[in-house]
Amino acid sequence: MSAILEVADLHKSFGGVTAVNGVSFDVREGEILGIIGPNGSGKSTLFNCVLGQLLPDGGEVRIDGKRTTGMRPCDLNRLGVSRTFQLLQVFPQLSVHDNLILAGQEHQGSMFSRLIGRADAGLGEAADRMVEFFQLSHLAGEQAGALSYGQQKLLDAAMAFMAGPRLVLLDEPAGGVNLTMLTHLRERLQAYHAQRKATFVVIEHQMEFVMALCTRVLVLAEGRIIAEGAPHDIRRNPVVIEAYLGY
Amino acid sequence: MNRLRAATAVAATIFAVAVPFFLKPFGIFLISMWAVLTIAAIGLNLTLGYAGQVSLAQGAFVGIGAYTVALLTQAGYPFALAFVAAGGLCFAIGGMLGYPALRVQHHYLAFVTLAFTTLVFLVLRNEEWLTNGIYGINGIIRPTFFGWSTRSALNFYFFSLGTLAVLSMATWWMLRSPWGRAFVALRENPIRALSLGVDTRRYTLMAFAIGSSLGGLSGGLYAPLVQFIDPGSFALGMSFNLLLMVIVGGSGYFFGPFVGALVAVLLPEWTRITQGYYLIIYAALVMVMMAFCPSGILGLIERVLKAAFRSGGTAPALRAEGIGP
Repeated sequence: MSAILEVADLHKSFGGVTAVNGVSFDVREGEILGIIGPNGSGKSTLFNCVLGQLLPDGGEVRIDGKRTTGMRPCDLNRLGVSRTFQLLQVFPQLSVHDNLILAGQEHQGSMFSRLIGRADAGLGEAADRMVEFFQLSHLAGEQAGALSYGQQKLLDAAMAFMAGPRLVLLDEPAGGVNLTMLTHLRERLQAYHAQRKATFVVIEHQMEFVMALCTRVLVLAEGRIIAEGAPHDIRRNPVVIEAYLGY
Repeated sequence: MNRLRAATAVAATIFAVAVPFFLKPFGIFLISMWAVLTIAAIGLNLTLGYAGQVSLAQGAFVGIGAYTVALLTQAGYPFALAFVAAGGLCFAIGGMLGYPALRVQHHYLAFVTLAFTTLVFLVLRNEEWLTNGIYGINGIIRPTFFGWSTRSALNFYFFSLGTLAVLSMATWWMLRSPWGRAFVALRENPIRALSLGVDTRRYTLMAFAIGSSLGGLSGGLYAPLVQFIDPGSFALGMSFNLLLMVIVGGSGYFFGPFVGALVAVLLPEWTRITQGYYLIIYAALVMVMMAFCPSGILGLIERVLKAAFRSGGTAPALRAEGIGP
């Protein structure tokens, strides 16, 4: 399968601290790649460089073969790339339904047509389906800020899928989520992946979640890739155990 | 709750149409001022309340609009053209003023816009060849449309009220559209908005441009209402007053500016019975109001209604659907 995302020799430093140090990897269409590593290993910085939130000091990012290094996040989103953040990033004053419509509306027509067109940008039914898919239907009219942490995490993930992206980067989707909600979240992600054949890149500390969800895993430590392989191989890799898993 | 909201809107409209018939000319002047300044406050509410961009420049845009209409009508151009030019000019300048907002936020942005207000005041005061300087512009005529003159206080009030109604509906339409949602996203979480494809740069500039344009249109009515304008009217005081209207009414509430302008225009007049103390009392009332309801009068009413409806199930919302916050 062809690579949907190519990262080549990416570097990013903050003052004297090198957060990402020559990272290169490819993500093939349809796979679920996990990125694990200890805190401060550069995982989120890597995401932010890939997604245009940070400008890398060196290296290159390509999506579908097109150079996207330094491209603005909103332009990347329109190329079919979506993400979630490590910390909750919903719009608390908007309803669940409006959060979902907002997540897809910029893909509907031009800015002017959105001004004169329908209030829901034609996404009302798609938002209904998405809340149903993530089993949040009973909360559709509630303000997002009134939801529990786990429910907001689900909404956050649902928003990332609203525009039908081909590539989704999930930054610690399981962080702070209880076990019941975690299983639910994993099932939803797997179901979406099965339905839409979307490509996922997942940063996560929750190893069971990574092992159950991902088809391939990269391990980052001190800004470098120290291991790469199938989840069960990574678990037994002595370098990974030494640097991260610690057992 | 929708019924209650509709009934309130109908009652307020009937009241606004009927009330001038029970007022003396000064009273009609005051409610005309309310209608005119509400337009500017709606613009500021869009920029500040919805899009979250702090602006202390709205008074300057009222000034630019007022001077545009005064100068063009005195040069013989029809009012309608001058009015559109006032809105268009402020749209363009407001869009340019939005550029600093792409780099600075919050109190830094407040200082940028404050500097702009001072700059406009200095231009209005010093460029005598254009603005007549400190002597201002006198004898600004009120327009006539197809034989209907707005020279009388009553007719000008209805003209202002009609313009307010049209501009309010246009703003409501925009806020209920995906633009309104994007403005709220800009205020609540611009980084997340950007990651969802919202071009925060364009929406920030549009929030400034449209908000400023409404300020200019308000100025376009302000000039023929007062019929004499001078630079002092559009100094920082006007910007602060408009900010007060938005905050007191309820920032980010669609009807906040209507209520806030009512308070800011009428309260000083009502407290005049205390003669020399009226500004002190007015200031004290505003401080108390802000201490006990920082979300403004509509925020307070919403809290009270929510508490009252809590046992009944669905909590009411004063904010129009889909336009947050």
